[in-house]
Amino acid sequence: MGQIVIDVNDLSRSFGTKDALDHVSFRANDGQVYGLVGANGAGKTTLLKHLLGLLRATTGSVRVFGLDPVRDPVGVLSRVGYLSEERELPEWMRVDELMRYTQAFHPTWDAAYARGLLETFGLDPSKKIKELSKGMRAQAGLVAAVAHRPELLILDEPSSGLDAVVRRDILDAIVRTVADDGRTVIFSSHLLDEVERMSDHVTMMHHGRVTLSGALDDVRRGYQRSRVRFVEHFDQPPVLETALAMEGGGRTWSVVHSGSLEQFRYSVLALGGEVVESRDATLEEIFLARAGRNRQQVEVA
Amino acid sequence: MTLRSPVFAMLWENWRLTQLEAAWRLVLGIVGGLAILAVFSSQREVIKDLSAAIALVLVVLPHFLGWLSIAKLNSGRPGFPLYLLYTRPVRTAVLVGVPMAYLTVLPAAIYLVSALLLRVTSGYPFPLLPVAAWIAALNVVYAATNWSTRNRVIQMLGMMVASGAWVSLANHRLNAEEIQGSYDWPPNLWPTRFDFPLTDYALIGAIGLASFGVAVARVARQRHGDAPAAMMVDFPGFPEWLVNLFQFPCPTSSATRAQVWFDLKSSGLPVLAIGLLLAILNPLVFAITRPIEFARPFAIMFAMASVLAMLILGVNAFGIRWRQGRAYASAFEATQAYGTARLAGIKVLVRSVCVLPALIAVGLSIWACLSFMVGEAHLRSWQHAIEGAVGVLTGYQQVALAVVAFIGVAVMVASVAAIMALAARYPRPLNIATCLYLLSWGLALVLLAQAGHRGIGLLFGPTRFIDAPAIVLATVYLSWRVFAERLLTLRWACGVVLISAAFGAAWVTLLRAAGVQLAGLPTMDAVWMLSPALLPLMVSVLAPWSLSRIRHI
Repeated sequence: MGQIVIDVNDLSRSFGTKDALDHVSFRANDGQVYGLVGANGAGKTTLLKHLLGLLRATTGSVRVFGLDPVRDPVGVLSRVGYLSEERELPEWMRVDELMRYTQAFHPTWDAAYARGLLETFGLDPSKKIKELSKGMRAQAGLVAAVAHRPELLILDEPSSGLDAVVRRDILDAIVRTVADDGRTVIFSSHLLDEVERMSDHVTMMHHGRVTLSGALDDVRRGYQRSRVRFVEHFDQPPVLETALAMEGGGRTWSVVHSGSLEQFRYSVLALGGEVVESRDATLEEIFLARAGRNRQQVEVA
Repeated sequence: MTLRSPVFAMLWENWRLTQLEAAWRLVLGIVGGLAILAVFSSQREVIKDLSAAIALVLVVLPHFLGWLSIAKLNSGRPGFPLYLLYTRPVRTAVLVGVPMAYLTVLPAAIYLVSALLLRVTSGYPFPLLPVAAWIAALNVVYAATNWSTRNRVIQMLGMMVASGAWVSLANHRLNAEEIQGSYDWPPNLWPTRFDFPLTDYALIGAIGLASFGVAVARVARQRHGDAPAAMMVDFPGFPEWLVNLFQFPCPTSSATRAQVWFDLKSSGLPVLAIGLLLAILNPLVFAITRPIEFARPFAIMFAMASVLAMLILGVNAFGIRWRQGRAYASAFEATQAYGTARLAGIKVLVRSVCVLPALIAVGLSIWACLSFMVGEAHLRSWQHAIEGAVGVLTGYQQVALAVVAFIGVAVMVASVAAIMALAARYPRPLNIATCLYLLSWGLALVLLAQAGHRGIGLLFGPTRFIDAPAIVLATVYLSWRVFAERLLTLRWACGVVLISAAFGAAWVTLLRAAGVQLAGLPTMDAVWMLSPALLPLMVSVLAPWSLSRIRHI
């Protein structure tokens, strides 16, 4: 177990009558990559903004490196690299000015690394931010966020606007390098294959709550997707213990379920069916089962 | 709600956007006008007549500004404001015509309602249709000017020319016959003074058609991407060419230097450059309009607008932005590893250092221009009075004046920046507080009108018992908050106290120079006179506190 970098405890935040975060607790250790997934409005960006001190907690506490980001923004932000979802960068700046400006705030700035990344991305330092495409802005923002080799890298939807090659090769490499150096990365994404590829840990959010959190391997091992066949014909999805989502009809159903396979087999057997095949569920299947069409909804439908 | 046609939908949309501002205009006109009429109702006939004239000006004035709610929605961008709607399946003429008609007719309607109400309640013959028609004409020209171009300079000049022409025409019509010992348009002459010829309405119609035609043609170009694009500048961002007029590298040696570079380049130097430009333009405008009598008011208006522009451009030190009606602070700056109090201090200082010389340049240029104005004796007498007052100051007192001026500008910049930040953070409570404040003033004026001529004295008398304690209490509370939230360090606090002490000493020196003997005044009056000396201390804690409120929402 490494050192705790982020410690969010029972954090709640509301905007007007809407609960953006509802008693969220979350911890992150150093040297790990944390993927935050959830539908739009699930509370991912709100949680990340709390880590940066851009939002104050209504209740609960946020500690980053043991510091309160609202009370000690310099102590926290000097050790953090951040890429915002909106890619908000001053449009009048040139890329090289953005680099120099960011460098001034971070004594650990690695100019050679920044230059190398700019070259890798093919970004012209003399170009103005205004002239950059959305993807190029993301790249410029990413360089500014990582070139001071932060202890904690926070990326809000980093893939948004990036093409597939940059996303798969460069972003993955950057994130891996940061984690391998013993530093921490937390990123939000709605691309579940990306989270599955890059993360060591995954946290799922839904309606401002953490619905699932854990090491990626543990999470995946904890859920299976099984195909079951019954003797009896079912018009509605049959009630199966530990089942989270069901698709199909009649005698054959695909079920995403948690818990042990043995327990699931037993509950299928009790309804006169059998498990035809079973495999670990993908993150997308788990996400859809937990946040999307859950069993109750299927039953109602 | 079901909207059955695009036209209804667009009208409803415009109503949703402007309803609050329309209500404000209506309330300001009616409450303000009624309050003034009520305050002076027990005075002599001449004073009552004058109050009716002031009420008329008050009812007309809100329609001189254009629609702030539309500008706010549009982030102050030049060009057609509802540009996001270019993809709507309606013809450009409809796209332009519906909002243009709405934004033109509504001010006229608001004026009509206000004037009619004042007319009925006071018995004065407040003019109705003639003034309403000219208000509509002014607003249709505003709309056409703002929507037809994406060039801010042309936009501003167009607005100034339109309002200048409007004022010149009003001046010409109202002062057509000189009345000795009074202003030339007392209420008993309103029925004749405002009885405009029918040709006026033909002219207004022509102005409306021309404005519509120009706006449709220009918006059609913007809609199809032919007009030069300048859409991405967020208010209060300065035009990019102006920002990049000053090329000097960002220092990397310290965060403070980099932040100073950022603020200088992004807003400070552009403000200074605009100030210098206006300082050059003012003499030109005065020189051009000098031989043309009816154009002279335009030069005065340009001069006043120059000072106003400096004050408006100079005050948003924290860089609050507006997008789609939402005010927010830049997340880019908020996530830099820099202390909030330092950030606030640098922003205020840099902006003040740039605004002050800009204001001085504009002021000096206007001062020089006024010297060769023809037939403005009252302006000349003011000039002599100011020259006399400054001329008798000793060297030490002049230094005190300079200190008060610089710190005063910094206080103004910091306090307005703080208010804008708080307005962005707490828009609803602040709006309610402002409404209640204005309403209480209106009510107080009406009630105190019963006390006759002593009413004004009764009203302003108690404020000195409120001002000083309010400043002291606000300073104590904010000081406690900034220390509790660890925004201000002891070192910074010492600096703040030193600056405040310098301002206090300079303030007392100027009071003495003005002949105020504090020792001879009642204690409350002396405290009230000295209370401005606390302002630098108060804004020094208010500025970081308010910046913290938008940095950590």
